[in-house]
Amino acid sequence: MKDSQNAKKLDTQNTMDIPTRKEGWLQRLKHHRPAYVSFILLIVIHAVVFLGPLVWRADPEALTMEGPQAAWSAMHPFGTDDIGRDVLSRLLKGGQVTLTVGLAAMLFSLTVGTIIGSAAGFFRGAVDAVLMRLTEAMMSIPNFFFVLVGLTVLGNTPFMVVLVIALSSWMEIARVIYGETLKWKEHEFVEAAHAAGASNLRVLARHILPQAIPSVVVVGTLTIAWSILTESAISYLGMGIQPPMPTWGNMLQDAQQYIWTSPMLGILPGIAIMIVVLLYNLLGDGLRDLLDPRYVPRRRRNAKRITNFFKKKAQGVINNVH
Amino acid sequence: MNNSRFILSRLWQSIILVFIVTVITFFLINMAPGGPASIMRMDTTQEARDALTVRLGLDKPVPVRYALWLGSAITGDLGESLATGQPVIQRIGERLPYTIELAILTLIVSVLLGGVLGILSAIRRGTWFDHGVNLFTVLGLSVPVFWLGIMLILLFSVELGWLPSSGTGKANATFFQHIRYVIMPVFVLSTTTLPTLVRFTRSSMLEVLSQSFVRTARASGLKESVVVYWHALRNALIPVISIIGVLIPRLLSGAVITEAVFGWPGMGRLVLEAAQGRDYPLVMGVTVVTTGIVVVSNFLVDIAYSWVDPRIRNR
Amino acid sequence: MGTKRKLPAMLGVLVLLLTIALVSCGGNSTKTETPTTSEAPSASQAPSASAAVATTKSDGPVKGGEIAIPIVADPIFNPWHPNAFAESNVINRVLFSGLTKPGKDLAPAPDLAASWETSEDGLDWTFHLRDDVKWHDGEAFTSADVAYTFNEIALNRELGANNVSYFKNVKSVEATDDYTVVFHLTSPVAALPAYLSFNTEILPEHIFKGQDPWNLVSFNKEMPIGTGAYKMEKYISGQSVRLVANPDYYDGAPNLDAVEYRVLPDVNTHVAQALSGELSVFTLDDQAALARLEKSDEIKIIPQYTPRFFWVALNQENPLFTDLRVRQAMLMAINRQYIIDTVLNGYGEVADAGISPALAYYFNPNVKHYDYDVEGAKALLAEAGWTDTDKDGIVDKDGKPFSFLFEVGIQGNLVRIGQIIQQELRQIGLDVKFETLEWNAMIQKDVIRRDYDMMLNWWRYPADPDLKPYLHSSTAGTGYNIPGYKDPELDALLDAGSTTADPAKRQAVYYKLQEYMAENLPYLFLWYPMETEVANVHLKGLPEHLGFGDSLHYIDEWWLEQ
Repeated sequence: MKDSQNAKKLDTQNTMDIPTRKEGWLQRLKHHRPAYVSFILLIVIHAVVFLGPLVWRADPEALTMEGPQAAWSAMHPFGTDDIGRDVLSRLLKGGQVTLTVGLAAMLFSLTVGTIIGSAAGFFRGAVDAVLMRLTEAMMSIPNFFFVLVGLTVLGNTPFMVVLVIALSSWMEIARVIYGETLKWKEHEFVEAAHAAGASNLRVLARHILPQAIPSVVVVGTLTIAWSILTESAISYLGMGIQPPMPTWGNMLQDAQQYIWTSPMLGILPGIAIMIVVLLYNLLGDGLRDLLDPRYVPRRRRNAKRITNFFKKKAQGVINNVH
Repeated sequence: MNNSRFILSRLWQSIILVFIVTVITFFLINMAPGGPASIMRMDTTQEARDALTVRLGLDKPVPVRYALWLGSAITGDLGESLATGQPVIQRIGERLPYTIELAILTLIVSVLLGGVLGILSAIRRGTWFDHGVNLFTVLGLSVPVFWLGIMLILLFSVELGWLPSSGTGKANATFFQHIRYVIMPVFVLSTTTLPTLVRFTRSSMLEVLSQSFVRTARASGLKESVVVYWHALRNALIPVISIIGVLIPRLLSGAVITEAVFGWPGMGRLVLEAAQGRDYPLVMGVTVVTTGIVVVSNFLVDIAYSWVDPRIRNR
Repeated sequence: MGTKRKLPAMLGVLVLLLTIALVSCGGNSTKTETPTTSEAPSASQAPSASAAVATTKSDGPVKGGEIAIPIVADPIFNPWHPNAFAESNVINRVLFSGLTKPGKDLAPAPDLAASWETSEDGLDWTFHLRDDVKWHDGEAFTSADVAYTFNEIALNRELGANNVSYFKNVKSVEATDDYTVVFHLTSPVAALPAYLSFNTEILPEHIFKGQDPWNLVSFNKEMPIGTGAYKMEKYISGQSVRLVANPDYYDGAPNLDAVEYRVLPDVNTHVAQALSGELSVFTLDDQAALARLEKSDEIKIIPQYTPRFFWVALNQENPLFTDLRVRQAMLMAINRQYIIDTVLNGYGEVADAGISPALAYYFNPNVKHYDYDVEGAKALLAEAGWTDTDKDGIVDKDGKPFSFLFEVGIQGNLVRIGQIIQQELRQIGLDVKFETLEWNAMIQKDVIRRDYDMMLNWWRYPADPDLKPYLHSSTAGTGYNIPGYKDPELDALLDAGSTTADPAKRQAVYYKLQEYMAENLPYLFLWYPMETEVANVHLKGLPEHLGFGDSLHYIDEWWLEQ
């Protein structure tokens, strides 16, 4: 929960325009029941998936004695898969991979988005023009087309899958950061820091970027959800992370041939994906609500700001659907 | 004057944008390992592979090939498909109408249904209806599209036998038969756009409902429903226009999976075939056309938006 | 927001959705009884082969009706086109005709050529053509069409035509009179008539003359003109190809009025539409779904051997694999019957060599056979010097562990099979890293550059036992000899087989060749898969001993029970 501590610390630093928050994020989250419950459930799911294999020690890649498509039993709670591997251990290992892909892709796209967005906003001029045109260009390629071509080029190792997903989803974050950088750049406390002799990078890192954290957390959470869905979709097309390493996506793809004989092989990973994505979406929505001025209405808005709000909102909502 | 300058500058930006996209795509796809399907087949000889490499002009360096491609693309010639020898434009022309059909039907469904649900849940904010709608939008955002498609096929095609599982039925179907082929793909593709529209309309409507002019209208004694429908609605739907532009690339993305699941002969399947078969000119053609569609629709949306809301123009 | 009521409602809907999912699939979730290591239905007693015959009322063929056949991608109506793959072959066989076709006993039978003979030295083959054949546009078919197809298209090296590898030894084709052609060879090719029956149909000179044969879109993608039993009516890209009966077909007008090929990329759709009766006949490569089809009374499943074998190639450039004992140990560690039973659903037979039982006359059943034997495999490895000295579970020799990369192209069941093989090889202490590659990338890396340790694939070949292209030392490096195995003794056998015309002598040579293959394992031979033809019970007249692909040559005899 580093983020929340940071956020708390920073929030108390600059209280000029944003509403004061006396509570930490977790405290605030408690007021938003669905988000809070989602958050707890996500922690539970991550714990089960990452710690579960310590308890359930079956090898997710080894063939069992029971053979393929064995029924549910004490030996194999969810039976065995199409070639005779333990399904439970594959669900756990697959969950590790899938959730890690989601998190890693989010972090990666956050990094790319932050660098591009802040550079464009901070330096303006030619840098701005080039970077923001690039951002727009990327936004107008249907991102699945980009993912397909990207994976064709780079292959399907887990790292490449993360990379391609991240490279197709950083634009939103870049725009958020860009907006925030522009907004805070001219602020008094930033100018004060400049006057005090702080370097550009330091000003950016210490004074401007922290302002963007709340919105980035929202976008980031939703990016995780989107990344997990994307991983499963590219697996469906046979271009995702490949077996024997399980992911929920490739388990689902593998099970397709068996929908006639062992439908549970497909239903289990499908439901796992849906639940996790649902929880991340609910958490992201909750966080957004908490940031929404209407949720704790404080600010007055003029006509012009409404338009801006709509534009921003549009972008924000878009994220969900990625 | 102001207006035409706005349009000109947008046009210029769009051209630059399409250019950037073609550079990215061309170098990416040519970096991919492997080569055109005709060369990369198991049952052919090295001699034949070499001959085809020369015939297809793939012995030239990538930058040269890009220059050649760009040169003819500027004149409107997108080249010929490596796989079939047909003009790229023709291959796209065969498939594009199907994707457009799917996309437009999905947009219509999403806008109508999304508008109604969004407005109703804004009006009934906080009720079970609002929560129900909200829940379904989150669910829609969370379900893997292809999984939903397969489950629907299992239920409606295999178990119940109500709807055809694949294809368009266009070959010899009547209009009403064709509709049966459309239902499931449109439903599945809607999960990528409907939730967004519901949410967007809802928050836009809420925003408008809290505006002073609505409060004034209410205070002046008009019946609530009239207020809602005449004042709020119009103002709430204006910003909805802005989102449609953003939904177009999303629809095209979603079409890749939807078309694969339902055997729909559109652009999504074409791009998949093109990338896997390393049909370089076709990949480029598809990229140019889809980016073009996105750019043009964004452009139109911007113009429409600045027309209904002049404040935008001055930004 | 009133958040309290959101969550229970959410959970409720989730449960509902789950239930729907379960109910919708529950109907056919009955487990197939596939005991793991059972002796399983092997070749001869493969399930439901008999059901095919049972319900026939032998009233004889009737005219009329139409059928639908699925294909997975858009076809190209030119058998020699480098982009003509399986989906094109099943159409081109019906639109066009070759000089010969696979007979109902798989031996080459007359088609456009009524008869043929070879010169004493085997270097000239003379084909006597039928004089009653017309192209779909009414032009007469003559020897000029044959000569043009070969000289200008197939043998034109700049074009890189499909299937030319079979005609490497053909110098030229000469039309000596209107209905006679002579193939001039550089060295004898006993299998020539068989090669001429395999995706090598004749194209019309009067349309192709002066054109670029690959870019003649009006023919290749729109309106092909053939000599076959059906002619083009309408092609809609991405959707369907509709052919109608050719009343002037030289073997008499076909029974069915029309044949429609539907482009359906997803195999699950084929199964669903076969069950609903929308599709009439096709080959189902995905045997997992057969379990569902077997239950239907409306569908018969006809398993048939075709000339095909699956193999593992061990790169002979890699010293790890040059020791025969290592190859033997690896083969013994692979439980081939288990894979046949699980992945192929029982439709296949363990292969000891490469000549398929489909070629019954040449198939030698009495060759060395390696049973699944993990301990035996370990013993052989130890004999070859590979033991686990450092107790890390991996065998080693001279301090080096036995570790290598196993690459598989993403196609059909290959990835599934590859994972089983990897696990099995691990059991005997080999450190096998498993990697999948996109098909296209696999061909470039493994096949063209030969940059691999171990790979898995299959060969499908014309109905002739000539395996020279796949095994001869002259084809190592760039040809079909993927493992790069070279042995003069093997070469001699292959050369003898490919040049011997007398069937009895050929049989003797190929019997010996199979003994050699089984003994020395140039490839690790895995199995001969059966082609499982799925057909609607009302479709009659399918030749009894031919797989789906070959029986398309007899589509004029098919008929629908009314």
